[in-house]
Amino acid sequence: MSDNDLTRRTLLRRTAAAGLLATPAMGLLSACVTGGGEDEPADQAEGEKSAENPLGVDGKAPLEIVIFNGGYGEKYATDVHEPLYKAKFPEAQIKHSATQEIATTLQPRFAGGTPPDFVNNSGTKFMDFGTLIQDGQLQDLTELFAAPSVDDPAKKVSDTLVAGTIESGTYNGKPYVLNYVFTVYGLWYSEKLFKDKGWTVPATWADFTKLLDTIKAAGITPYAYAGKNAPYYQYLAILTSAAKLGGPDVLKNIDNLADGAWKAAAVKTAATQWAEIGAKYMDKSDEGLIHTEVQLKQNQGKVAFYPSGSWLEAEQAASTPEGFNYAVTPIPAADGATLATGLFATAGEPYFVSAKGTNPRGGMEYARQMLSKAGAKGFTELNKSLTSVAGAEEGITLSPGLTSASTVLKAAGTGIFSYRFDGWYKELDTELRTATNALMFGRETADQFCERMQKKADAIKADSSITKFTR
Amino acid sequence: MAIDTKPASKSAAPSPEKTRREVNILAGFGHAFLAVWALLIIAPLIWTFLASFKSNEEIFGDAWTMPGALRLDNWTRAWSEAHVGQYFLNSVFVVALSTAGTMLLGAMAAYVLARYSFWGNRIIYYLFVSGLAFPVFLALVPLFFVVRNLGLLNSYLGLILVYIAYSLPFTVFFLAAFFKSLPNSVAEAATMDGASHTRLFFQVMMPMARSGLISITIFNVIGQWNQYLLPLALLQGEGAEDKWVLTQGIANISTSAGFDADWGGLFAALTMAILPMIVIYAIFQRQIQSGLTSGAVK
Amino acid sequence: MRHGKYPFVIGFLAAPVTIYVVFVIAPYAQAFYMALTNWRGLSPGKFVGLENFQRLFTNDDAFWKALQHHGILLLALPLITIIIALFLAFMLNVGGGSQKGIMTGVWGSKFYRVVFFLPQVLAVAILGVLFQAIYRPDGSGMINSLITKAGLEPIGFLIEPKIALWSIIAVLVWQAVGFYVVLFSAGMSNIPKDIYEAAMLDGATRMSMFFRVTLPLLWDTLQVAWVYLGIAAFDAFAIVQTLSVDQGGPDGSTTVIGMEIYRNAFTYSKYGYASAMGVALFFLTITFAALSLRVSRRESVEM
Repeated sequence: MSDNDLTRRTLLRRTAAAGLLATPAMGLLSACVTGGGEDEPADQAEGEKSAENPLGVDGKAPLEIVIFNGGYGEKYATDVHEPLYKAKFPEAQIKHSATQEIATTLQPRFAGGTPPDFVNNSGTKFMDFGTLIQDGQLQDLTELFAAPSVDDPAKKVSDTLVAGTIESGTYNGKPYVLNYVFTVYGLWYSEKLFKDKGWTVPATWADFTKLLDTIKAAGITPYAYAGKNAPYYQYLAILTSAAKLGGPDVLKNIDNLADGAWKAAAVKTAATQWAEIGAKYMDKSDEGLIHTEVQLKQNQGKVAFYPSGSWLEAEQAASTPEGFNYAVTPIPAADGATLATGLFATAGEPYFVSAKGTNPRGGMEYARQMLSKAGAKGFTELNKSLTSVAGAEEGITLSPGLTSASTVLKAAGTGIFSYRFDGWYKELDTELRTATNALMFGRETADQFCERMQKKADAIKADSSITKFTR
Repeated sequence: MAIDTKPASKSAAPSPEKTRREVNILAGFGHAFLAVWALLIIAPLIWTFLASFKSNEEIFGDAWTMPGALRLDNWTRAWSEAHVGQYFLNSVFVVALSTAGTMLLGAMAAYVLARYSFWGNRIIYYLFVSGLAFPVFLALVPLFFVVRNLGLLNSYLGLILVYIAYSLPFTVFFLAAFFKSLPNSVAEAATMDGASHTRLFFQVMMPMARSGLISITIFNVIGQWNQYLLPLALLQGEGAEDKWVLTQGIANISTSAGFDADWGGLFAALTMAILPMIVIYAIFQRQIQSGLTSGAVK
Repeated sequence: MRHGKYPFVIGFLAAPVTIYVVFVIAPYAQAFYMALTNWRGLSPGKFVGLENFQRLFTNDDAFWKALQHHGILLLALPLITIIIALFLAFMLNVGGGSQKGIMTGVWGSKFYRVVFFLPQVLAVAILGVLFQAIYRPDGSGMINSLITKAGLEPIGFLIEPKIALWSIIAVLVWQAVGFYVVLFSAGMSNIPKDIYEAAMLDGATRMSMFFRVTLPLLWDTLQVAWVYLGIAAFDAFAIVQTLSVDQGGPDGSTTVIGMEIYRNAFTYSKYGYASAMGVALFFLTITFAALSLRVSRRESVEM
């Protein structure tokens, strides 16, 4: 049920894993035990509230942190965030652990009523957010976001975050999840290649197709995505175009399963335009390739544009040639777009505080420290990724790709949008992947695409066994 | 050599022209087909071996080129980072014990069901045989809880017991047929001599059923060695990665390849997993094949 | 055999039956119950009766697509595998003609025998990685490298909906053939050689010998092979999940019931519904097995 799980690089891990064999979600098996109801509420530590200690943390209470040991490693926790907490509460004992299998390691503990206080619920085997929330396992973070920020007591924590961060972790109107890493989506390319060839990044759809023609003439595949495990990146591109044409409400309607949301003119136009890109500028064989394989082609200068998120540069660091210089450009808007400067960007990488742990106040305080300038800066430095803390990357020498993402983000201003249906309704996500491949590789028309998606959305809406969300 | 000429068939003398032509055409086509099929099997394996020395660029370049250099570090990475050696030994350990257990328990059950009549015999027999048709998938989730509730999750004991349990239907089905086919006279003679039921089983019947036992053992070794779904479900939790069996290890490397491209390492790991199997198979192939044949074609 | 029979019988059956009941029967029994609930993996599911089955049979395109694919697999997999294996086995055993009255295989039979069986010892996880490299849709694929060198367009083995399922079937055949070569070889070596001699005396060619002698005498073995391969045709999950685009794609053209069970359980967290599919698969498999066993003579050997 998480909206976040797909907006991160872990998406790829998951699909890659799924693509191989039954690796993912085996951890969910252990989810079954969490019957709920019989857990005894633990004795929870609480201290005196003060200006220095706005969340009322008991400074002596131990705090248990569990980090997902994946792409971001655990160093940012042990070297940056935990010392920050420790500096504030020297008597507190921090129990740190990191695992690649969050669900398998933690489900039994949640079931047994002894959950850790603070969890980075991420990776292939993350715990299902909807179920955790239903079970009352997650601490409502309203208090955290309303608390004064670490750096400026006059400012609330919520005011220091990039717009949309809190919303991205809100379920049924309550903020349960902190999404810490901010991801910018767009078309990624090699600045070096473009400079060498004298190509300029397109601002409009017309420029875009013209450039793709030029690139094609140069013998390079103009546009590619990995059909085997990453059609998600491409449907993100299609829906970005739709949102630019018809405004962000197009996506909101899709999320809310509104009647006819997929048949909106904006969606149809976007699908038509992208189908044309697929027919004219893509290599058919890419449908059978996985993300890394297509990325390798881009690294070798055989592919010009690749739709993805801002983790791409760090992820590809090992295989990117010297001087490649990743850069991102927003998906160009078509003529008559209502939101030409819009950008698909959203917070991801979820963290939560356990409501039934022994130290939920400590957990929230830990999150507050993470959201301090020092905490966020440390994370960006270590992981070459932007955080949800606004402007925290200032003063850091950013890598080329991150600089580019940061510029694009600033240029977009308030025109940032995203969707959440992919995490809410897995069935819709699955159907959209299939439909996207069919559309982009010429097996179905835009009309069929919209028709098919609408049919699925309606079916989900009518299915009483599926929990519905709205935004 | 002659096929259609009477006099030649008894002697090995060279055959007339006509026969030779028929032989040649058939043999020619047959030879070609045999060779092609063998090539279809060998070529991918050789490719994998070559790819284990290639760089990412080479692997995604033209498929049939030699590696530019002997990149042994692919092998080092696969060995040290992907722990292929460890997983291989884990697999050997698990499969050795579980196959031994399967054969012992399976033979005991099959023997009793085949040669003793008692109330409930048929029920138990069909209970076992019906297991042949169960898709493992269906049981996966409840099985997880059964193992968990017994406190056997993430333990080799749990995995081995489950392997045994899921190998029993096939084992009992075949061995029962085998025991049934053994002559009664020897058993009767032994009983006359005062052998107990247990002694009869271990000292008379088991040796007599040797060929059948060997063939089913081979089936079980192959089946359990290749098992992926069960260890995936049952070996998880804290420290599970050290206990993984080979299939999980390979799957894991291949999964990582989805986001962290180390294709050379992947194929090196693959080669490491394949090579010992080929060697072992080459050594024992005579026994394996004769074992298979004696059991399966009864 | 009279004294102490029951203690012995019980002693020998206790351990295997206990293990079997605990780890196999009990989980299946639970799965049958789960199929009647709407359990989604965490809080206990509600009993919904046959709702899952109703949905399955009336309103699940993917399930029906998977069923069709099993139909194709059920015909194609045994047929292709058996034909290839029979031919290979015949060449290996009889193809060399007679030497001093004994039928022999062609030159190199021993080598071929070893090689053909080799895929059997490769785990599915390995097979998946291997065939990804074989089928890759551009010049880096083992097959397409040769095709493009010949100046032809590369074939999208796994991305063309029309051929994707056949590419999957080819993998299954590739792996299975070796086993059946051995099986049939054994069958052939059991055929008394005087029958061949008699046939030769009658002036039979090898071709007619195959159809008149080998095939009829192998009939029982062929039926066994058909049952095995048929049961295998109801699985195929691991290969589909490893190889296919978009897990059962493109556009559902390679999906199988196992794949749909997996998707419903582990992607959609619909454990109840997935169990219902599993129950359906169970009845399909057991019906097939029962039918085949009835047709084949194997049952009479057992009972």
